[in-house]
Amino acid sequence: MDTTSDILFDQETAQADLKIKIVGVGGAGTNAVVGLKLDNLGDVRLAAINTDAQALNQSPLAEKLVIGRSVTRGLGAGGEVEIGRAAAESDRDAISRLVGDADLIIIVVGLGGGTGSSAAAVVAEVAAKTNALVLAFATLPFSFEGARRKRIAEESVGELRQLVHGLIPLPNDVLLQEGDEDTSVLNAFAVADRWIGRGVNSLCAMLLKTGLINQDFSSLRSVFQYRGGKTIFGTGTATGGDYVKDALEELFICPLLHLGDRPAQLDRILVNIIGGADLGIAKVNEIMTQVTQRFGSREDIVFGAVIDESRSQSIELCILGKAEIGLPVNSEKLVVPEAKHKRIATPGLGLETVIGQDTRAPRPVHTSKLRQKKLPDESQDEFTFVDNEDQRGYFDKTDRNDYNDEDLDVPTFMRRGIKIKIK
Amino acid sequence: MSQSRVVAAVEIGTSKIAVLLGEIIGDAGLNIIGHCVGTSKGVKKGEITDLDKASDCVHAAILKAEENAKTRVDEVYLAQTGRHLIGDFNVGSANISSADGIVRRADIDAAKEDAKRRTLPRDRTYIHHIQNPFTLDGRPVDNPLSKEGRQLQVGYWSVHGDSESVSDSLRVIRGIDLDVSDMIISSIASGVVLLEESEKENGALVIDMGGGTTDYVLYRKGFIVKTGVIPVGGDHITNDLSIGLRVARKSAEEFKIKNGRAYYESEDRDAKVWLFGDMTIGDREYPLAAITKIIEARVAEVFDIIKEQLVAAEMFEPSDIASGVVLTGGSSQLTGIEEAAHRRFGLDARVSEGPKDVAEELRMPEYSTTLGLLHYALTGQEESQQEAKPSGILRRLTGLFN
Repeated sequence: MDTTSDILFDQETAQADLKIKIVGVGGAGTNAVVGLKLDNLGDVRLAAINTDAQALNQSPLAEKLVIGRSVTRGLGAGGEVEIGRAAAESDRDAISRLVGDADLIIIVVGLGGGTGSSAAAVVAEVAAKTNALVLAFATLPFSFEGARRKRIAEESVGELRQLVHGLIPLPNDVLLQEGDEDTSVLNAFAVADRWIGRGVNSLCAMLLKTGLINQDFSSLRSVFQYRGGKTIFGTGTATGGDYVKDALEELFICPLLHLGDRPAQLDRILVNIIGGADLGIAKVNEIMTQVTQRFGSREDIVFGAVIDESRSQSIELCILGKAEIGLPVNSEKLVVPEAKHKRIATPGLGLETVIGQDTRAPRPVHTSKLRQKKLPDESQDEFTFVDNEDQRGYFDKTDRNDYNDEDLDVPTFMRRGIKIKIK
Repeated sequence: MSQSRVVAAVEIGTSKIAVLLGEIIGDAGLNIIGHCVGTSKGVKKGEITDLDKASDCVHAAILKAEENAKTRVDEVYLAQTGRHLIGDFNVGSANISSADGIVRRADIDAAKEDAKRRTLPRDRTYIHHIQNPFTLDGRPVDNPLSKEGRQLQVGYWSVHGDSESVSDSLRVIRGIDLDVSDMIISSIASGVVLLEESEKENGALVIDMGGGTTDYVLYRKGFIVKTGVIPVGGDHITNDLSIGLRVARKSAEEFKIKNGRAYYESEDRDAKVWLFGDMTIGDREYPLAAITKIIEARVAEVFDIIKEQLVAAEMFEPSDIASGVVLTGGSSQLTGIEEAAHRRFGLDARVSEGPKDVAEELRMPEYSTTLGLLHYALTGQEESQQEAKPSGILRRLTGLFN
């Protein structure tokens, strides 16, 4: 830990003791973790898990774990989910040691291939047995990568979503819409990694740095009380000029945040603002007002603001939202996390959900009225390609519009990988 | 005054409900006495998703048309669309029974019966049997009666739909104590009034692009040889723009109408258009290229699907579609749609200006399907009374519209 961060840490809140571990699973996940540029965040440890020993050897990370040597002899899973799963199962203990005693575990994975798609669920399962809060960033394959990858990713999302507290999907189709018109598809993979980087950075900064309006681990935990449900993530940054307005604008058009025509469906939102010394309460208020207007009622929003001396005339916004659609209705507003987690244990996945023994009481997050309304069929939400469905917008509530294995309700330009530049 | 009945032609569209009231006087002809285009709710992709909402809208539109005409409706002709509609080509045949090999009425009936014999699963209902030409020993003949041959064949383009979807739309009409006399699929109803007889003879593809569906009908040598419904329409273009530009649906709709073009051009690359254009807070510029590329992808896909279906049915012979593509429906108002169709099909393409002989206000694409329904209301009756009439019915019919 360097001196700068020492100054920034507020020892009294014991935030400095917070252990964060970011685990890349599979090839794409490992690449994303290697590419993370964490600004000065102190105790964040990076690790990678893969079946491909050679690929892993080349990565500069400190903690590396080759899984399934007995299954693949150190070669990759070759896109075979079963091999990936067998590899992960055979090294459960090693995964458990690697996950260790972190407070927050962030799994980074690219779904649709062999190792990531299957091993991520095993990592999540192992992580769930610790006390940690488990979040996952998962990139989803492009539509044009074919139906098989899509199906694999679809199944993995369904499985993973039940195991982690928050799954933040990054559909590559959407990410392709970013960047310049000439950006190749390969570069679009790098774009996905950058988005993961921004998300991870913003999360860690919020937890590890002292705030103007302080958010700590328990408030993050209160947003992610339950496993399952949909997580929504978006960021926006801007420097100079009317940076508050620009950052808000960027946040609202963040491709990962697209909510179709139903932006009010978020149950819980955590908003973090990182700005320079010139970030006054007035600016924070302006942001709060706009975000509140956009995403739902005031009482469902938790705010945090962090001052970073190096960020004068600049601002970064990050929102994490949770829509607990399909989860059991709970009338109590505040429940000890442990009790809740037991209630939503998912049978059939063999998961013992002993998690969330955080002794600090979670911050109050109000339960929205949304959940008292009729909930959609739970089973329907679990194994469909939820993230592609988010792109159906107006047609969200209608049957799939199948033609040649494609859902015609999903915009054509996305299915064809046509790049749209909107800036 | 001779005996007359008031027929309502009703099209329950995804974005609009069109009602035309026609007064049919004996077998002499038809006067259009009332019309109304109302907003539609509870309909997506051409199918009723909310029966109550849809019923309310349809009833309101029929009542308004009745007020407009100061009379009550006696019966209803109803248009059908939706992806549940499927068309098949069925061929029936009969061996000539008489010793002299002369075709008798009984032979013709037997061939027709044979073609319609195919039974449907219980959850499907026939909507149309459209007769194609007879062939006698393989040679096409207009009227086989009294001709000589050994085997008579007749083809039918038969359209059937999901019983539940069909009965939903019937229930909407029955909700106000009206009877549905007949159902006609939208594409056929539009085609009948938009094409001249010569165009049907030369071959033409009518594409009716509405809010929720795109219906098409292909005429070759004067006969309907293929119909189809793609459950994609103007709503999809709006939705694509909303998702792609990350703007609200209303703004996307505005972009589509104000700035949309059905194909992308390189000069769009640097052009910008304003979201609101009124300099208010939140107004901002968007690249025109984003809008036209999103629309181009969608429109091209719809046309490609139609072409694929025609090719699969071995019906896409450009030389047999000499009159080209005729576009109609609300989405045909999209700038450049004819150019997009020309590029995808390699055929001449034009946007229909509506039937020439009807009053100006009824030439809008909104009314082409309902005009076709009235045509059926009139000709259906005439056919039963005095056998199939040669072409010219349309002339008489449309002549009365003014």
